[in-house]
Amino acid sequence: MADISTIKSVRVDALVALRIVKHATGVYPTTVYGSLLGMEVDGVLQITNAFPFPTSAEGDDSGSSALTPKNKGVMWYQNEMIKCLREVNVDANNVGWYQSSTLGNFINSNFIENQAHYQSQMNERTVALVYDSTRSAQGGLAIKAYRLTPQFMVAYKENKFSSENLIKHNLTYKDILQEVPLTLYNSHLAVSLLHQLSIPPQAPSNLPVSVSSLTNPPTYPQPNFPVSTNFNALDLTIDPVLEKSCDLILESIEAHNTEANNAAYYQRSLAREQAKITAWQQKRKTENSVRAAQKLPPLPEDEWQKLFKLPQEPSRLDSLLISRQVEQYARQVDGITATSSAKLFALNGGIPRF
Amino acid sequence: MDRESFIHLTKPAAAGSTTASPLQVVICAQALFAILDHSLRRSPDQERVIGTLLGVRSEDGSEIEIRNCFAVGHNESQEQVEVDMDYHKQMYNLHLKANPKEVLVGWYATSPELNTFSALIQNFYASNGDGTHPHPAVHLTVSSNPGKDITCRTYISSSVGTTADRAADSCLFVPVPYEIKYADTERNALESLSLGKAAPDRQVSNIVDIHSLEAGIIELLEMVNRVSNYVSQVLVGDYFATPCRKRALTYCLQAGETPPSVAIGQALLNTLNLAPKVDAPELEKLFNTHLQDVLLVSYLANTIRTQIDLSNKLASAVGTIAAPPKTDHKRQQRERD
Repeated sequence: MADISTIKSVRVDALVALRIVKHATGVYPTTVYGSLLGMEVDGVLQITNAFPFPTSAEGDDSGSSALTPKNKGVMWYQNEMIKCLREVNVDANNVGWYQSSTLGNFINSNFIENQAHYQSQMNERTVALVYDSTRSAQGGLAIKAYRLTPQFMVAYKENKFSSENLIKHNLTYKDILQEVPLTLYNSHLAVSLLHQLSIPPQAPSNLPVSVSSLTNPPTYPQPNFPVSTNFNALDLTIDPVLEKSCDLILESIEAHNTEANNAAYYQRSLAREQAKITAWQQKRKTENSVRAAQKLPPLPEDEWQKLFKLPQEPSRLDSLLISRQVEQYARQVDGITATSSAKLFALNGGIPRF
Repeated sequence: MDRESFIHLTKPAAAGSTTASPLQVVICAQALFAILDHSLRRSPDQERVIGTLLGVRSEDGSEIEIRNCFAVGHNESQEQVEVDMDYHKQMYNLHLKANPKEVLVGWYATSPELNTFSALIQNFYASNGDGTHPHPAVHLTVSSNPGKDITCRTYISSSVGTTADRAADSCLFVPVPYEIKYADTERNALESLSLGKAAPDRQVSNIVDIHSLEAGIIELLEMVNRVSNYVSQVLVGDYFATPCRKRALTYCLQAGETPPSVAIGQALLNTLNLAPKVDAPELEKLFNTHLQDVLLVSYLANTIRTQIDLSNKLASAVGTIAAPPKTDHKRQQRERD
């Protein structure tokens, strides 16, 4: 835990970004997991390679949990793979893991457990990359790097998330995850390839014969589609995305509600028990004063600890995570609406009026 | 990317011949990046590095999509070549666990050269047991010489008639056409990556939505400009001045002017007709309602965030969790309906 602030930023290689995108797109909308390889240089975590985790771990049929990095079969796979990759000069240090998500729905106990596992077992300098397939489909590349904060790690190790403990560690839902600034990096060869891929195709020398030959480009010999801007970003139909986001928020609020009810229930039963204890103590006191008047030895006053049992405080972890998740959604909605209202205004200005 | 042109003549099907007619190879951008990465990581004394290509074969075997690849260690000297076959098998098995659909389709090398060793390795990859037999193995060469274009070539092999003892290290590499392809999301990713292609440090930081929006609009404006340039060039030309159309066209071409095209004109007209015909007040109304919806959602999201914040603050302060934001909940639902 000494070098906590060592990772200042994360640098993701083009290859890693493409691998994650390919892996996530292949099985969308299932959540996928994989391992990240690289090394840390002067506070910058350079992620240079990645590989997907197997879809079902060997000798383990425990369903969905078979995919997560903590799983034994996956650990074995990861170690084997790293051993192999070391032989071909790949940076063979495990520096974290990645997962895909839809509209930022990744903050749950599973994610926390995995990252905590990495940050405590491997070393402190590991990150989790989260790739958002839905947001990326609208243009751009939505990859974010996250780490658990040191406060949270301390609290997590104690495995106690009572109100008291949270106050002790000064932990709020905002302090669970910290986002690490991320940059994308191209090697020289990759830059060269990107330049080549974006050369626009030669204009055809002869004129098109008919409209259909224009609308169906394959009739033109078009060897390589250039990497040109695709116009997904100009898409105006944001309603499905917003609606989905709203659904997700509602779901989270629902969960938050349940947690709140649990906590309220705990508070009520705690108050009830405490009232009972005070009543009992009062009774004991009067008894004792009566006994004192009768010159009898007083009865012990701490017997209530045996008679009554205080209810256990439910863990606040879930409620924290849900709060963080709601915040994530809310920020996301904010971001989406910001771009789309800009688009709407642009459209309003541009449509011809008759 | 430049490519050589070649012509394929379909041979009459010989009895028992396994190598089918030429096939179409599709290369996923991701595999190319992986090959280039491997090429960067080779030892300084290695001329080229090789690796295994994984991908998907179409049902009739006429199209191969190279989706993935992994590096295989090898040693090459003047006299002999050593390829770590155990390593290849181990990696292949590991890859199959993660991607059961991606099977062995061939191999790559990072130099455009084809030599005896290439033939030897090719024969291994196309062989009966561990190789791709009965399908042909694809050999992809990617040249990665600094300062030159990255050129790809794809080949399949066919056997040549030699003496039995030379058969193992000789084969004929038949060039086959290929295509570089990317899925939509991959394209988005590549687009983001290309933002950094002109930057001196080759990095892209803070990727935000608004950037891709900006890039899209710029590109769109360029396209509109190109089309309007074309149209005005046609209009200033002499084409419409001459009564005989055929003569006019020849004249246009001779004078280096832009010749008009009926097809382009028609396509433009079709596109222009797509502009919706709505009257201004109606449009204003639609626009305002939609905008209000969007802003309301944004407002509600922010309110929810504040509520959650408040609820958590209260929870830690009093030890009680405050009442959940129920009002928001209902309003949100109403709004969505």
